[in-house]
Amino acid sequence: MATQIITADQTDTLALSHVNVPPAQTWNYLRINDIAFDVPTPHFVGDVYARLPQLFGKLECGIGDEAVSWMEHASGDARYVEVRASEPQTVYVDIDSSKTEVHDTGVLVRAGASATIVTCAHGEQGGTSSSLLRVIAERDARVSIVEIVACGEGQQHLDAIGIEAAEGARIEMRQYALGGAKVALGLCCNLAGASSRFVLDTRYLAVGSDVLDVNHVVRQRGRSTRADIVTTGILADAARKTMRETIDLIHGAKFAEGSEIETVLVTGDDVVNKTLPVILCDEEDVAGNHGASIGAISPEQLDFMRSRGLSEDEAERLFVRAMFDDAVIHANGAETRTAVLNRAETVLGADVARDMAEVLGFDTEEA
Amino acid sequence: MSDQLLIIAGLSAGTEDKPILHNIDLTVGAGETHVLMGPNGAGKSTLGHVIMGDPIYQVTDGTITFDGQDVTDLGADKRSLAGIFLSYQAPVEVPGVPLYSFLRTICQMRPELKTTARKFRERVGKIADQLDIDQNFLTRELNVGFSGGEKKKIEMLQLLLLRPKLAILDETDSGLDVDALSIVSRGIEAYRKECDGALLMITHNTRILERLTVDRTHVMVHGNLVADGPASLIDDIDAHGFARFEDALAEKAEA
Repeated sequence: MATQIITADQTDTLALSHVNVPPAQTWNYLRINDIAFDVPTPHFVGDVYARLPQLFGKLECGIGDEAVSWMEHASGDARYVEVRASEPQTVYVDIDSSKTEVHDTGVLVRAGASATIVTCAHGEQGGTSSSLLRVIAERDARVSIVEIVACGEGQQHLDAIGIEAAEGARIEMRQYALGGAKVALGLCCNLAGASSRFVLDTRYLAVGSDVLDVNHVVRQRGRSTRADIVTTGILADAARKTMRETIDLIHGAKFAEGSEIETVLVTGDDVVNKTLPVILCDEEDVAGNHGASIGAISPEQLDFMRSRGLSEDEAERLFVRAMFDDAVIHANGAETRTAVLNRAETVLGADVARDMAEVLGFDTEEA
Repeated sequence: MSDQLLIIAGLSAGTEDKPILHNIDLTVGAGETHVLMGPNGAGKSTLGHVIMGDPIYQVTDGTITFDGQDVTDLGADKRSLAGIFLSYQAPVEVPGVPLYSFLRTICQMRPELKTTARKFRERVGKIADQLDIDQNFLTRELNVGFSGGEKKKIEMLQLLLLRPKLAILDETDSGLDVDALSIVSRGIEAYRKECDGALLMITHNTRILERLTVDRTHVMVHGNLVADGPASLIDDIDAHGFARFEDALAEKAEA
C-alpha cells in the first residue's frame, strides 16, 4: 500500500490540540488533561511503499492519535527493525533537533530475543523535532530502552513510545528528559501477555521557563503482570511540569501488580509542578500503589550530605550533576553520551561537563 | 602527650524536649585512638552526632573545640570541611545520585583533595580494591539497594578518600559478618596508618579493636561520662559489663 511522503515545513504551523491525554481525565480547570502544540505542517511530496507493518498501527503511544498521525506524516518514511533470538541487537535512533528531524521507528523483537533501543534527541537551535518509536516484544523477549531528550533552549520536541509485551516479555526502560523549551513525552506499555513485566525509571530536569509534559500509561491486561514506574525530577527557576501516570488494571489481569512513585525536588520559586497519578482498576485480585513526594531534599539525606561537607545549595547542585552523570552512565553509545554532555555543558558549565566525562572515563571517546 | 585535637568542655545537649548528654568533658589528641563504650541508650551515638553538628540535637551548655577552633555553633558542613568525619550506623540511601558523582563532589569541596579527574579515578579505584568493593558499585546510586556490609564499606571508602583529622565511627561493626568485619577493620587500620588521623570508636564489639592500639577508653551511662581509663578498661568491661558504672551513677544521683 502506498503512503504519501511528506516534508515538514517549519514556517506553516498546524495545531495539535490534544496531546498527552490521560485515559481518565479530571477537572478541566486544572489544565492537566492535555497540552496543545503548534507543529510544522507536513507537505506532500510523493509516495512510499515501505511503511511499518500494520501491526504497529494498533499500538497506543500515550501521546495521542492526533500527534501520532502528525508524526507519521511529518516523518515521511519509517524504519523497521526485526530482532531475532539468534542475533541480539542495539538499535539507535538519533534525532537531530537542530535539523528538525522527525523519526518513525518500529522494532519487532521476536520470541526469546534481546534488544536494546536507544533514542536520543539533541540539538541547540530552535525548531520542532519528534520521535515515534513502537516496539512489539514477543513471548519471553527482553527489551531495554534508553530514551534521552537533551534538546536546547528554544527547541520543541515530541517523543512517543508505544510498547506491546507478550507472555513473559520483560521491558526495562530508562527515560531522561534533560532539556528543551517545550517537550512532550508520551508512553504507553501494553502488558498483554501473562507474567510480562515493565520497569520504567524516569529522570527529568526542567530549568528556565521550560515546559515538560509527560503522559505514562500502562495497560495491564495479562495475568500476573507487573509494572514499576519510578520517577525522579528536578524543577528549577520557572519551569513547568505536568506528569500524568496511569496504571490500568484491566478485567482479567488477576494477580497483577502496578506501582508508580514520583519524587520531585523543587528548587525554583516560580516552578509550576502538576502531577496526576491514577490507578484504574477493573479486577479484584490486583495490587496498585502510587505515591509522591514533593519539595526539598529529605532531612535525612541533607544531614548526611552536610556531614560530608556539602551545604544545601551544593547538595542541590549535586543532584543536578548526578542526573547528567546517571544519563551518561546509561547512555549506551558515544553519540548519545556526547549529546548528554553537551546539554550538561549548557546547564552546568563547560568545566563540570568536562569533569563528568573525565571522571567517568569517557573523555577520550569520539562520537 | 600529643596536641589536643578535640576538646569537649561541659557539654550538655539533647533534642528539643529531652536532655540526653550531661556535662561531658572529653579530650582527644591528634592521632590518638579513643573508644567510647556504654550500654544501649547511653547516649554514645548522640555524642557522635553532636560532635558532627547534627541539627536534630541542640547544645544547651558547654563548648566543642576542634583543631583550635570553637565549632560549637558551626553547621555540619563546616565541621566536615574542618576535618571531622562521622561514619553512620545506618548510612542514608540517596536515590538519583551515583556514588561516583557523590565522591567526586565531596572531594572537590576540599582544597587539599582537589585533583584532576584521572587522578581521582585512580585513587578511588585503589581504595575500592583495598576494601574489596566491586568497581560497578561506583556507578550505582549511593547506598540504594546495598546490603548493610556494603554500606559500611562505602563509609570506609569515604573515610579513606576524605582523610579527616578525626573519624567518629558509630558502631561501624554492627550487623557485619566475619568477612565484612575483617574488611572494615582493614579500612580503619589503613586510615590510622595512611592518614594518621584520630579515632573515636563507638562500639560494643571488641573484635574490631584487635588491630588497633587504643589510647583511651571512656564509659558513658545515661548521658554521663562516668569513667575513663587505658585500653585495659575494655577487657574489664568485657568481663564484668556496665553494671558497676550504672550503680555508681545511681548512688551519686541519690547522694
